[in-house]
Amino acid sequence: MKNVLIVDDSIAVSRQLEKIIDDGKEFKVIAQGRNGAEAIKLCQQHKPDIVCLDMNMPVMDGLTALRTLMQLMPDLPVVMVTSLGGVGDKYTEAIRLGARDVISKPFEKESVLDMLRRL
Amino acid sequence: MPVKFFGQFMVEKGAITRMALLQAIDLQEKTNLKFGEVVIEMGLIGKEDIARIHLAQRSEDLHFGDMAVKMGFITEDQVQQVLTRQRNSHLYIGEALVKVGAISEQSLEKYLADFKQDQAGYISEKIEIPADVPHQPIWEMVADLTYKMLTRVVGITFRPGPCTIIDKMPARPIIAEMGFSGSVSARYLLSVSENTRNLVAKAILAEDSVENESVEILDDSVKEFVNIVCGNIAAKAAQLGHSIDITPPEMRDDSAHGIAVPEKHTGLMFPVYLSDGEIFELTIFIADR
Repeated sequence: MKNVLIVDDSIAVSRQLEKIIDDGKEFKVIAQGRNGAEAIKLCQQHKPDIVCLDMNMPVMDGLTALRTLMQLMPDLPVVMVTSLGGVGDKYTEAIRLGARDVISKPFEKESVLDMLRRL
Repeated sequence: MPVKFFGQFMVEKGAITRMALLQAIDLQEKTNLKFGEVVIEMGLIGKEDIARIHLAQRSEDLHFGDMAVKMGFITEDQVQQVLTRQRNSHLYIGEALVKVGAISEQSLEKYLADFKQDQAGYISEKIEIPADVPHQPIWEMVADLTYKMLTRVVGITFRPGPCTIIDKMPARPIIAEMGFSGSVSARYLLSVSENTRNLVAKAILAEDSVENESVEILDDSVKEFVNIVCGNIAAKAAQLGHSIDITPPEMRDDSAHGIAVPEKHTGLMFPVYLSDGEIFELTIFIADR
Protein backbone atom coordinates (compact mmCIF):
# COMPACT_ATOMS: atom_id res chain seq x y z
CA MET A 1 0.00 0.00 0.00
CA LYS A 2 1.43 3.39 -1.05
CA ASN A 3 0.62 6.46 1.00
CA VAL A 4 -0.49 9.51 -0.97
CA LEU A 5 -0.55 13.17 0.07
CA ILE A 6 -3.01 15.44 -1.80
CA VAL A 7 -2.36 19.18 -1.84
CA ASP A 8 -5.03 21.34 -3.51
CA ASP A 9 -6.76 24.52 -2.36
CA SER A 10 -10.07 23.18 -3.69
CA ILE A 11 -11.90 20.88 -1.30
CA ALA A 12 -14.10 19.73 -4.19
CA VAL A 13 -11.07 18.72 -6.27
CA SER A 14 -9.35 17.05 -3.29
CA ARG A 15 -12.48 15.04 -2.65
CA GLN A 16 -12.71 13.88 -6.27
CA LEU A 17 -9.04 12.87 -6.29
CA GLU A 18 -9.28 11.12 -2.93
CA LYS A 19 -12.26 9.07 -4.19
CA ILE A 20 -10.29 7.97 -7.25
CA ILE A 21 -7.12 7.16 -5.31
CA ASP A 22 -8.88 5.24 -2.54
CA ASP A 23 -10.75 3.23 -5.20
CA GLY A 24 -7.36 2.14 -6.51
CA LYS A 25 -6.97 -0.23 -3.48
CA GLU A 26 -3.16 -0.17 -3.66
CA PHE A 27 -3.13 3.50 -2.58
CA LYS A 28 -4.26 5.30 0.54
CA VAL A 29 -4.67 9.05 1.04
CA ILE A 30 -2.96 9.80 4.34
CA ALA A 31 -3.26 13.59 4.50
CA GLN A 32 -4.42 16.68 2.62
CA GLY A 33 -3.00 20.18 2.40
CA ARG A 34 -4.41 23.40 0.95
CA ASN A 35 -1.29 25.24 -0.27
CA GLY A 36 2.39 24.84 -1.09
CA ALA A 37 3.61 25.72 2.42
CA GLU A 38 1.39 23.00 3.88
CA ALA A 39 2.71 20.56 1.27
CA ILE A 40 6.27 21.01 2.56
CA LYS A 41 5.20 20.68 6.20
CA LEU A 42 3.04 17.60 5.56
CA CYS A 43 5.75 15.88 3.51
CA GLN A 44 8.22 16.23 6.36
CA GLN A 45 5.60 15.09 8.87
CA HIS A 46 4.06 12.10 6.99
CA LYS A 47 6.83 11.04 4.60
CA PRO A 48 4.34 10.07 1.84
CA ASP A 49 5.23 7.71 -1.01
CA ILE A 50 3.54 9.97 -3.60
CA VAL A 51 2.46 13.64 -3.60
CA CYS A 52 -0.32 15.04 -5.84
CA LEU A 53 0.37 18.78 -5.91
CA ASP A 54 -1.89 21.42 -7.45
CA MET A 55 -0.05 24.05 -9.50
CA ASN A 56 -2.26 27.07 -8.89
CA MET A 57 -2.73 27.66 -5.14
CA PRO A 58 -2.79 30.63 -2.75
CA VAL A 59 -0.04 31.38 -0.15
CA MET A 60 2.55 29.29 -2.03
CA ASP A 61 1.93 27.90 -5.52
CA GLY A 62 2.68 24.33 -6.53
CA LEU A 63 5.79 25.03 -8.61
CA THR A 64 7.44 26.99 -5.76
CA ALA A 65 6.63 24.15 -3.34
CA LEU A 66 7.96 21.59 -5.84
CA ARG A 67 11.27 23.47 -6.09
CA THR A 68 11.71 23.31 -2.28
CA LEU A 69 10.51 19.69 -2.04
CA MET A 70 13.04 18.57 -4.64
CA GLN A 71 15.83 20.17 -2.62
CA LEU A 72 14.67 18.53 0.62
CA MET A 73 13.60 15.13 -0.81
CA PRO A 74 15.02 14.73 -4.33
CA ASP A 75 13.63 11.17 -4.74
CA LEU A 76 10.06 11.99 -3.71
CA PRO A 77 7.61 11.19 -6.55
CA VAL A 78 5.54 14.33 -7.10
CA VAL A 79 2.81 14.62 -9.75
CA MET A 80 1.46 18.07 -10.51
CA VAL A 81 -2.30 18.67 -10.81
CA THR A 82 -3.49 21.42 -13.14
CA SER A 83 -6.39 22.81 -15.17
CA LEU A 84 -3.88 24.37 -17.58
CA GLY A 85 -4.08 21.40 -19.96
CA GLY A 86 -2.76 23.16 -23.02
CA VAL A 87 -0.15 25.49 -21.52
CA GLY A 88 3.08 23.84 -22.58
CA ASP A 89 5.52 26.05 -20.68
CA LYS A 90 3.92 25.21 -17.31
CA TYR A 91 4.22 21.49 -18.11
CA THR A 92 7.85 21.89 -19.15
CA GLU A 93 8.69 23.88 -16.03
CA ALA A 94 7.11 21.27 -13.75
CA ILE A 95 9.05 18.43 -15.39
CA ARG A 96 12.28 20.46 -15.38
CA LEU A 97 11.88 21.10 -11.63
CA GLY A 98 11.56 17.36 -10.96
CA ALA A 99 7.85 16.48 -11.17
CA ARG A 100 7.35 12.92 -12.43
CA ASP A 101 4.22 13.74 -14.42
CA VAL A 102 1.25 16.12 -14.71
CA ILE A 103 -2.42 15.22 -14.13
CA SER A 104 -4.90 17.44 -16.00
CA LYS A 105 -8.21 18.41 -14.44
CA PRO A 106 -10.91 17.24 -14.78
CA PHE A 107 -9.74 13.77 -13.74
CA GLU A 108 -10.16 10.57 -15.66
CA LYS A 109 -10.06 7.78 -13.08
CA GLU A 110 -8.08 5.15 -15.01
CA SER A 111 -5.53 7.68 -16.30
CA VAL A 112 -4.89 8.93 -12.75
CA LEU A 113 -4.49 5.39 -11.34
CA ASP A 114 -2.30 4.27 -14.27
CA MET A 115 -0.07 7.28 -13.73
CA LEU A 116 0.27 6.59 -9.99
CA ARG A 117 1.05 2.91 -10.67
CA ARG A 118 3.88 3.89 -13.01
CA LEU A 119 5.66 5.94 -10.30
CA MET B 1 -36.93 39.29 -17.10
CA PRO B 2 -37.28 40.71 -20.60
CA VAL B 3 -35.37 37.89 -22.26
CA LYS B 4 -37.57 34.91 -22.97
CA PHE B 5 -37.45 31.54 -24.65
CA PHE B 6 -40.01 31.03 -27.43
CA GLY B 7 -42.14 28.60 -25.39
CA GLN B 8 -42.17 30.97 -22.42
CA PHE B 9 -43.16 33.85 -24.73
CA MET B 10 -46.06 31.78 -26.10
CA VAL B 11 -47.35 30.88 -22.62
CA GLU B 12 -47.10 34.50 -21.41
CA LYS B 13 -48.92 35.66 -24.53
CA GLY B 14 -51.71 33.16 -23.81
CA ALA B 15 -51.20 31.47 -27.19
CA ILE B 16 -50.60 28.04 -25.59
CA THR B 17 -51.07 26.41 -22.18
CA ARG B 18 -48.17 25.42 -19.92
CA MET B 19 -49.26 21.80 -20.36
CA ALA B 20 -48.98 22.08 -24.15
CA LEU B 21 -45.49 23.56 -23.76
CA LEU B 22 -44.42 20.65 -21.55
CA GLN B 23 -45.76 18.17 -24.14
CA ALA B 24 -43.82 19.96 -26.89
CA ILE B 25 -40.61 20.00 -24.81
CA ASP B 26 -41.06 16.30 -24.10
CA LEU B 27 -41.41 15.56 -27.82
CA GLN B 28 -38.38 17.74 -28.58
CA GLU B 29 -36.23 15.92 -26.01
CA LYS B 30 -37.19 12.54 -27.47
CA THR B 31 -36.50 13.69 -31.03
CA ASN B 32 -33.37 15.84 -30.75
CA LEU B 33 -30.50 13.56 -29.87
CA LYS B 34 -27.14 14.96 -28.81
CA PHE B 35 -24.11 14.21 -30.96
CA GLY B 36 -23.00 11.53 -28.48
CA GLU B 37 -26.44 9.91 -28.49
CA VAL B 38 -26.48 9.77 -32.29
CA VAL B 39 -23.04 8.12 -32.47
CA ILE B 40 -24.19 5.51 -29.93
CA GLU B 41 -27.38 4.95 -31.94
CA MET B 42 -25.27 4.55 -35.09
CA GLY B 43 -23.03 2.07 -33.24
CA LEU B 44 -19.89 4.17 -33.80
CA ILE B 45 -18.81 4.70 -30.17
CA GLY B 46 -19.59 3.00 -26.84
CA LYS B 47 -20.98 4.77 -23.75
CA GLU B 48 -17.69 4.62 -21.80
CA ASP B 49 -15.84 6.34 -24.62
CA ILE B 50 -18.50 9.08 -24.72
CA ALA B 51 -17.67 9.86 -21.08
CA ARG B 52 -13.94 10.00 -21.95
CA ILE B 53 -14.65 12.49 -24.75
CA HIS B 54 -16.78 14.68 -22.46
CA LEU B 55 -13.95 14.77 -19.91
CA ALA B 56 -11.37 15.65 -22.55
CA GLN B 57 -13.63 18.50 -23.75
CA ARG B 58 -13.27 20.18 -20.37
CA SER B 59 -9.52 20.51 -20.87
CA GLU B 60 -9.47 21.47 -24.53
CA ASP B 61 -11.81 23.69 -26.50
CA LEU B 62 -13.01 21.28 -29.19
CA HIS B 63 -16.50 20.29 -30.34
CA PHE B 64 -17.56 16.76 -29.41
CA GLY B 65 -17.06 15.45 -32.96
CA ASP B 66 -13.63 17.07 -33.35
CA MET B 67 -12.52 15.66 -30.00
CA ALA B 68 -13.82 12.19 -30.98
CA VAL B 69 -11.75 12.41 -34.18
CA LYS B 70 -8.68 13.62 -32.29
CA MET B 71 -8.98 10.72 -29.84
CA GLY B 72 -9.29 8.27 -32.75
CA PHE B 73 -12.85 7.09 -32.07
CA ILE B 74 -14.39 8.21 -35.39
CA THR B 75 -13.35 9.65 -38.74
CA GLU B 76 -14.07 13.10 -40.24
CA ASP B 77 -16.53 11.47 -42.67
CA GLN B 78 -18.45 9.92 -39.79
CA VAL B 79 -18.65 13.34 -38.07
CA GLN B 80 -20.29 14.74 -41.21
CA GLN B 81 -22.74 11.79 -41.32
CA VAL B 82 -23.74 12.40 -37.69
CA LEU B 83 -24.14 16.17 -38.22
CA THR B 84 -26.30 15.60 -41.30
CA ARG B 85 -28.47 13.15 -39.40
CA GLN B 86 -28.83 15.60 -36.50
CA ARG B 87 -29.66 18.49 -38.84
CA ASN B 88 -32.25 16.53 -40.80
CA SER B 89 -34.10 15.30 -37.74
CA HIS B 90 -33.88 18.46 -35.55
CA LEU B 91 -37.22 19.59 -34.16
CA TYR B 92 -37.55 23.25 -33.10
CA ILE B 93 -39.91 24.13 -30.26
CA GLY B 94 -42.31 25.91 -32.65
CA GLU B 95 -42.50 22.80 -34.86
CA ALA B 96 -43.02 20.66 -31.75
CA LEU B 97 -45.93 22.90 -30.71
CA VAL B 98 -47.49 22.31 -34.13
CA LYS B 99 -46.93 18.54 -33.86
CA VAL B 100 -48.65 18.30 -30.44
CA GLY B 101 -51.57 20.32 -31.87
CA ALA B 102 -51.07 23.41 -29.69
CA ILE B 103 -50.91 25.81 -32.66
CA SER B 104 -51.43 25.62 -36.41
CA GLU B 105 -48.60 25.65 -38.92
CA GLN B 106 -49.92 28.93 -40.39
CA SER B 107 -49.93 30.74 -37.02
CA LEU B 108 -46.37 29.60 -36.17
CA GLU B 109 -44.81 31.98 -38.68
CA LYS B 110 -46.66 34.96 -37.24
CA TYR B 111 -45.77 34.04 -33.64
CA LEU B 112 -42.11 33.66 -34.60
CA ALA B 113 -42.11 37.13 -36.18
CA ASP B 114 -43.74 38.60 -33.03
CA PHE B 115 -41.17 36.83 -30.85
CA LYS B 116 -38.23 38.10 -32.91
CA GLN B 117 -39.53 41.66 -32.64
CA ASP B 118 -40.10 41.31 -28.87
CA GLN B 119 -36.58 40.03 -28.27
CA ALA B 120 -34.69 42.19 -30.74
CA GLY B 121 -33.24 44.51 -28.08
CA TYR B 122 -32.06 41.82 -25.68
CA ILE B 123 -30.42 38.95 -27.42
CA SER B 124 -26.89 38.90 -28.74
CA GLU B 125 -26.40 36.54 -31.68
CA LYS B 126 -22.64 37.04 -31.55
CA ILE B 127 -20.25 38.33 -28.93
CA GLU B 128 -19.58 42.01 -29.56
CA ILE B 129 -17.20 43.92 -27.33
CA PRO B 130 -17.92 47.68 -27.13
CA ALA B 131 -15.66 49.86 -29.29
CA ASP B 132 -12.49 51.32 -27.69
CA VAL B 133 -12.01 48.36 -25.33
CA PRO B 134 -8.45 47.12 -25.99
CA HIS B 135 -7.65 43.44 -26.75
CA GLN B 136 -11.16 42.75 -28.04
CA PRO B 137 -10.33 39.25 -29.42
CA ILE B 138 -9.18 38.17 -25.95
CA TRP B 139 -12.43 39.24 -24.25
CA GLU B 140 -14.47 37.62 -27.02
CA MET B 141 -12.56 34.40 -26.40
CA VAL B 142 -13.08 34.73 -22.61
CA ALA B 143 -16.86 35.05 -23.04
CA ASP B 144 -16.97 32.33 -25.70
CA LEU B 145 -15.12 29.81 -23.51
CA THR B 146 -17.29 30.67 -20.50
CA TYR B 147 -20.43 29.92 -22.55
CA LYS B 148 -18.92 26.70 -23.92
CA MET B 149 -17.92 25.45 -20.46
CA LEU B 150 -21.37 26.32 -19.12
CA THR B 151 -22.76 23.95 -21.74
CA ARG B 152 -20.08 21.27 -21.53
CA VAL B 153 -19.45 21.15 -17.80
CA VAL B 154 -22.79 22.20 -16.27
CA GLY B 155 -25.04 21.23 -19.20
CA ILE B 156 -27.64 23.97 -18.83
CA THR B 157 -29.67 25.86 -21.43
CA PHE B 158 -29.03 29.59 -21.71
CA ARG B 159 -29.00 32.60 -24.03
CA PRO B 160 -26.21 35.16 -23.88
CA GLY B 161 -27.20 38.81 -23.67
CA PRO B 162 -25.24 41.71 -25.20
CA CYS B 163 -21.99 42.81 -23.55
CA THR B 164 -22.13 46.24 -21.88
CA ILE B 165 -19.71 48.56 -20.12
CA ILE B 166 -20.60 48.99 -16.44
CA ASP B 167 -19.49 51.21 -13.52
CA LYS B 168 -20.71 48.84 -10.83
CA MET B 169 -21.63 45.17 -10.55
CA PRO B 170 -25.03 44.58 -8.98
CA ALA B 171 -25.22 42.93 -5.53
CA ARG B 172 -25.16 39.15 -5.96
CA PRO B 173 -25.12 36.38 -3.36
CA ILE B 174 -22.22 34.36 -4.79
CA ILE B 175 -19.27 35.73 -6.74
CA ALA B 176 -16.11 33.76 -7.55
CA GLU B 177 -13.12 35.48 -9.15
CA MET B 178 -9.70 34.91 -10.62
CA GLY B 179 -6.96 37.31 -11.74
CA PHE B 180 -5.24 37.48 -15.15
CA SER B 181 -1.75 38.86 -15.62
CA GLY B 182 0.75 38.83 -18.48
CA SER B 183 -0.50 39.91 -21.92
CA VAL B 184 -3.55 41.44 -20.18
CA SER B 185 -4.21 42.48 -16.61
CA ALA B 186 -7.79 41.82 -15.45
CA ARG B 187 -10.13 40.21 -12.91
CA TYR B 188 -12.59 37.52 -14.07
CA LEU B 189 -15.74 37.49 -11.89
CA LEU B 190 -18.60 35.02 -12.09
CA SER B 191 -21.87 35.76 -10.26
CA VAL B 192 -24.41 33.01 -9.66
CA SER B 193 -27.60 32.57 -7.64
CA GLU B 194 -27.84 29.82 -5.02
CA ASN B 195 -29.76 27.52 -7.38
CA THR B 196 -27.21 27.99 -10.15
CA ARG B 197 -24.40 27.36 -7.66
CA ASN B 198 -26.05 24.03 -6.78
CA LEU B 199 -26.26 23.05 -10.46
CA VAL B 200 -22.57 23.85 -10.88
CA ALA B 201 -21.73 21.85 -7.72
CA LYS B 202 -23.68 18.81 -8.96
CA ALA B 203 -21.68 18.88 -12.19
CA ILE B 204 -18.28 19.47 -10.56
CA LEU B 205 -18.77 16.89 -7.79
CA ALA B 206 -20.47 14.44 -10.19
CA GLU B 207 -23.27 13.94 -7.65
CA ASP B 208 -27.02 13.60 -8.31
CA SER B 209 -27.84 15.70 -5.25
CA VAL B 210 -25.92 18.32 -3.27
CA GLU B 211 -28.63 18.88 -0.65
CA ASN B 212 -26.42 17.71 2.22
CA GLU B 213 -23.27 19.47 1.09
CA SER B 214 -21.85 22.36 3.11
CA VAL B 215 -21.83 25.92 1.75
CA GLU B 216 -18.03 25.67 1.72
CA ILE B 217 -18.13 22.71 -0.69
CA LEU B 218 -20.80 24.36 -2.84
CA ASP B 219 -18.82 27.61 -3.10
CA ASP B 220 -15.68 25.62 -3.73
CA SER B 221 -17.36 23.95 -6.71
CA VAL B 222 -18.08 27.37 -8.25
CA LYS B 223 -14.43 28.31 -7.71
CA GLU B 224 -13.38 25.08 -9.42
CA PHE B 225 -15.69 25.82 -12.35
CA VAL B 226 -14.04 29.25 -12.68
CA ASN B 227 -10.65 27.54 -12.44
CA ILE B 228 -11.54 25.16 -15.31
CA VAL B 229 -12.80 28.04 -17.47
CA CYS B 230 -9.76 30.24 -16.76
CA GLY B 231 -7.38 27.28 -17.30
CA ASN B 232 -8.94 26.88 -20.74
CA ILE B 233 -8.65 30.63 -21.35
CA ALA B 234 -4.93 30.58 -20.51
CA ALA B 235 -4.44 27.55 -22.78
CA LYS B 236 -6.34 29.13 -25.67
CA ALA B 237 -4.49 32.43 -25.20
CA ALA B 238 -1.18 30.55 -25.44
CA GLN B 239 -2.30 29.04 -28.76
CA LEU B 240 -3.06 32.57 -30.00
CA GLY B 241 0.38 33.80 -28.99
CA HIS B 242 -0.59 35.54 -25.72
CA SER B 243 0.74 34.66 -22.30
CA ILE B 244 -1.87 34.80 -19.51
CA ASP B 245 -1.05 33.74 -15.96
CA ILE B 246 -3.96 33.05 -13.63
CA THR B 247 -4.20 33.48 -9.86
CA PRO B 248 -6.04 30.95 -7.65
CA PRO B 249 -9.84 31.33 -7.56
CA GLU B 250 -11.39 33.19 -4.60
CA MET B 251 -14.86 34.06 -3.33
CA ARG B 252 -15.81 37.76 -3.02
CA ASP B 253 -17.50 38.44 0.30
CA ASP B 254 -17.88 42.20 -0.15
CA SER B 255 -20.70 42.06 -2.70
CA ALA B 256 -23.72 42.87 -0.48
CA HIS B 257 -24.00 46.36 -2.03
CA GLY B 258 -22.51 45.55 -5.40
CA ILE B 259 -18.90 45.99 -6.46
CA ALA B 260 -17.70 49.22 -8.09
CA VAL B 261 -15.35 48.86 -11.05
CA PRO B 262 -11.91 49.85 -9.65
CA GLU B 263 -10.27 53.09 -10.78
CA LYS B 264 -8.31 52.90 -14.04
CA HIS B 265 -10.25 49.79 -15.01
CA THR B 266 -13.01 49.12 -17.57
CA GLY B 267 -15.89 46.90 -16.46
CA LEU B 268 -17.47 44.57 -19.03
CA MET B 269 -20.60 42.63 -18.18
CA PHE B 270 -21.91 39.62 -20.11
CA PRO B 271 -25.38 38.65 -18.83
CA VAL B 272 -26.44 35.05 -19.39
CA TYR B 273 -30.16 34.28 -19.34
CA LEU B 274 -30.96 30.82 -18.00
CA SER B 275 -34.19 29.04 -18.87
CA ASP B 276 -35.32 29.00 -15.23
CA GLY B 277 -34.71 32.74 -14.73
CA GLU B 278 -31.78 32.13 -12.36
CA ILE B 279 -28.61 34.24 -12.34
CA PHE B 280 -25.33 33.60 -14.15
CA GLU B 281 -23.26 36.69 -15.05
CA LEU B 282 -19.73 37.09 -16.27
CA THR B 283 -17.98 40.37 -15.44
CA ILE B 284 -14.44 41.39 -16.35
CA PHE B 285 -12.54 44.29 -14.78
CA ILE B 286 -9.84 45.20 -17.30
CA ALA B 287 -6.88 47.30 -16.11
CA ASP B 288 -6.05 50.29 -18.33
CA ARG B 289 -2.50 50.13 -19.63
